[in-house]
Amino acid sequence: MPQPLVQVRDLHKSFTRGTERIDVLRDLTLDVGAAEFLALMGPSGSGKTTLLNLIAGLDQPTGGKITVGENVISEMSESELARWRTRHVGFVFQFYYLLPVLTAYENVELPLLLLPLTKEQRKKQVTNALALVGLPDRMSHRPGQLSGGQQQRVGIARAIVTDPELIVADEPTGDLDTKSADEILRLMEILREQLGKTIIMVTHDPKAAARAQRTLHLEKGQLVRDVVH
Amino acid sequence: MFGMPTDAMTPTGFDPSMFMLSGYLLGLLGGLNLLAIILGVVTLPVFFLVLFGVEQVARVTANVSGWFPAKLVLYMFRGLRRSPLRTSLTYIALFVLTLVLSLIYSVLVFIGRVTTEKEADFKAIATHKTIIPSQMPRSHYEDFKKQLAKLPEGMRPVNGEADIMSWSFFFGTTDPISKRPDSNIFAFCVEPRKILTMMDGLDDLTGKEKADLDAAVAEMERNPQAIVMSKMRMKKMNLQIGQTIKVTGLSYADLVFDLQIIGELPDGKYDNISFINSAYLFRQLDAWKLNNPKNRTSEPHPMDAKCINLIWVRLPNKEAFERLAAAVNDTGNFSSPQIKLETASSGFGTFLEAFKDILWGMKYLMAPAMVAIMCLVIANAISIGVRERRTEMAVLKVLGFQPRHVLFLVVGEAMLVGLMAGFMSTLIAFRMIGNLKLQIAFFGAFFVPAEVLIYGPMLGAFVSVAGSLMPALAAKNVKVAEVFSKVA
Repeated sequence: MPQPLVQVRDLHKSFTRGTERIDVLRDLTLDVGAAEFLALMGPSGSGKTTLLNLIAGLDQPTGGKITVGENVISEMSESELARWRTRHVGFVFQFYYLLPVLTAYENVELPLLLLPLTKEQRKKQVTNALALVGLPDRMSHRPGQLSGGQQQRVGIARAIVTDPELIVADEPTGDLDTKSADEILRLMEILREQLGKTIIMVTHDPKAAARAQRTLHLEKGQLVRDVVH
Repeated sequence: MFGMPTDAMTPTGFDPSMFMLSGYLLGLLGGLNLLAIILGVVTLPVFFLVLFGVEQVARVTANVSGWFPAKLVLYMFRGLRRSPLRTSLTYIALFVLTLVLSLIYSVLVFIGRVTTEKEADFKAIATHKTIIPSQMPRSHYEDFKKQLAKLPEGMRPVNGEADIMSWSFFFGTTDPISKRPDSNIFAFCVEPRKILTMMDGLDDLTGKEKADLDAAVAEMERNPQAIVMSKMRMKKMNLQIGQTIKVTGLSYADLVFDLQIIGELPDGKYDNISFINSAYLFRQLDAWKLNNPKNRTSEPHPMDAKCINLIWVRLPNKEAFERLAAAVNDTGNFSSPQIKLETASSGFGTFLEAFKDILWGMKYLMAPAMVAIMCLVIANAISIGVRERRTEMAVLKVLGFQPRHVLFLVVGEAMLVGLMAGFMSTLIAFRMIGNLKLQIAFFGAFFVPAEVLIYGPMLGAFVSVAGSLMPALAAKNVKVAEVFSKVA
C-alpha cells in the first residue's frame, strides 16, 4: 500500500434520536494511501456516507482519531475545519450542488475566494480546472444551461481547483446516465493517475466501484471486506 | 365638531362624532396604505432596473478588485434575482412601511414645529374661550386693539397696526342650487395689507411671486370686492384672473358676494384657499341689516356678532404676552363672549388636544406595531428563502465558507432590498409631497423633511436586518452532514 494519507483509528460515531442511541460507526480503523482511488460500498445505513463526511471534516466523530496528512482533523474546531477543507479537500456530490445563480466559472471560483490569491492567479486556476474537465467553452454558462454530465464536470472542476490532496465523492455517478457516468469515472482516474489525487468515493454501483483500486465494504458501521482490484 | 362641547351627544353622554373620526382616520390610513401599495407596484420595474444597475456596478467592482467582500455582495444581488416574486413582495412590503412611516414622521415633525414656542417675535391668538371654531363680534377686534395700546412701551407690537389682524372664515358657493364641491369657495376675510406681513408662507415670498402678490394686495385695498384665489382652486373651478363671480354665502346665509378675481396665490401656498377683503364682508353684513327685504325688523345678520373667528397679534416678548393675556382674560374687558389669549403654538396645541390620544397612538402604538409586523413579514419571507436554500448554504460551508459568511449573505440580501425600498419610498414621498410645501390653513406649511431621505433607507435596512436575523442565524448554524443526509 502507498504511504497513507488518511489514517482512521478506532472511529466511533453515534447519534441520539429521542432516547435511542444509534451507533453508526463502531471502532473503525482504516488507512487510505496517497494517490489511492478507494470505493466505499455497503447497504443503506451502513455508515459509508457518515465515514466520508468524517474523513472530509464535515462532521465530528464521537470517538477515535482521524488524521489527514499531518492534520488531526478530529480535534479541530468548526472554523478550523472550514479553513482546512478549503485547502485540502475537494467535494463531488451526487446532485452536483452548483449555485444556480452563478456561472460555471463563478461556481468553480468559489473556493478560491477564500484563499489569498490574486485575481489573475484565480483566473488561471479556474481556467485550468475547467479545461481539465473538458469544459473550457462553458465558462459563462449557468448550471441550468448545462447537461447533468457537464454539471458534474463543473462540480469536479470546483473540487480540484484549490489543488487538494484528497477528493471525496458521494455517489458522483448516481444521477448520471451510463455514458456520462463512465466519463466522470474516467476523469477521476485521470485525477489520480496524472495529478496524484487521493479519491474516496461512496457508491452503490459495483461497476463504478470496480474502477477504483480498492473497495471497502461496510455493514452496520463496521468494515466487513477489503477488496483490492 | 370634534373637541367641541356638543349638543349632539346621545342621552347617555356618548359622543358619536368619535365614531366618525375613527372612521375618517381608518379610511385615511387605509387609503394611504392602498396608495403606498399602488406606488410600490408601479415602482417595481424601477426597483429591478436600479437593482440590475447596482448589480452591474457590484460586478465590475468585484471583477476589477477581486475583493472577497465585493464578490459576496455580488452574490447577494444574484440571490435577489433567484425569486423575483419573493423579492418583489418583500420590496413592496418595505416600500409601504417606509412610505407610511415617513409620512407619519412628517406629520409628527409638523405638529412638533407648530406647537413649539418661540421666545421672541411670536404670534398670539385670541379666540372664543370655549367654542371651536371660535366666533367673536367685530367689536372685540377694536377692543383688542385698545388693550394693545395700553401696553407699556417695549411690549407693544413692533410694527404697530401691521402686527395685528383678524380672521373671518367664509364658506360659499358659486352654484347655490346644486352646491357641488367644485363650486365651493373657502376664504379668509382679512385686511389685505396684513396678507403680506402676517401670513405664514406668504410673508417670505421673493421675486415675481412677491411682486404679483404685492400688486394683488394693492388691488384688494383699492377694490374691496376683489378676491385672490389659489391656483389649484381656480383650476378646479375653471376660473381665470379678471373674471367676476357671484358667491352665495353658506356660512353667511342669505349673503351674496360679487367678487372679481384679481390675483392668484403661488402653487403650494394655501391651496384651495382664497383671500377676500374683510371690509367687503362687513359691508355685506351691514347691508343685510339695512336693506335686505327678508329682514323687515332690521335685525342684525345672525352671523354679525360671530364674524370674527381669530385675532392674531405679533408680540415682541413673553412679558408682553403675559400682560396682554391678563387683560384679555379680564371679564371687565371682554365679557360677551369671554375670550382667551394663547400663543400660536399653544393655540395649535389646544386645537390638537382633541387628537392627542390619536397622535400618541400613532407615535407609540401604530408605528412600532407596523415595524414589528413588518419584521415578522420579512422574517417569514426570508425564512422560506433560507429553507429552500439550506443545501446551498451547506455547500458553501463545505467549500470552506465560515458561518459568518453565510450569515452575512442572508442578512445582506434582505438589507439590500430594505435599503432600496426605503430610499425609493422616501424619495417619492419627498419629491411628491416634500417639494409642494403644502400650506395647511393657518397651521403653516406641511412638508416632508429632508431627513426622511436618510431615515427611510435606515428604517428599511433596520427592519430587513431585524427580520432576517433569525433566519440568517438558522442558515449560519446549518449542519452540513444533516442537510446532505436528508437530501440523500
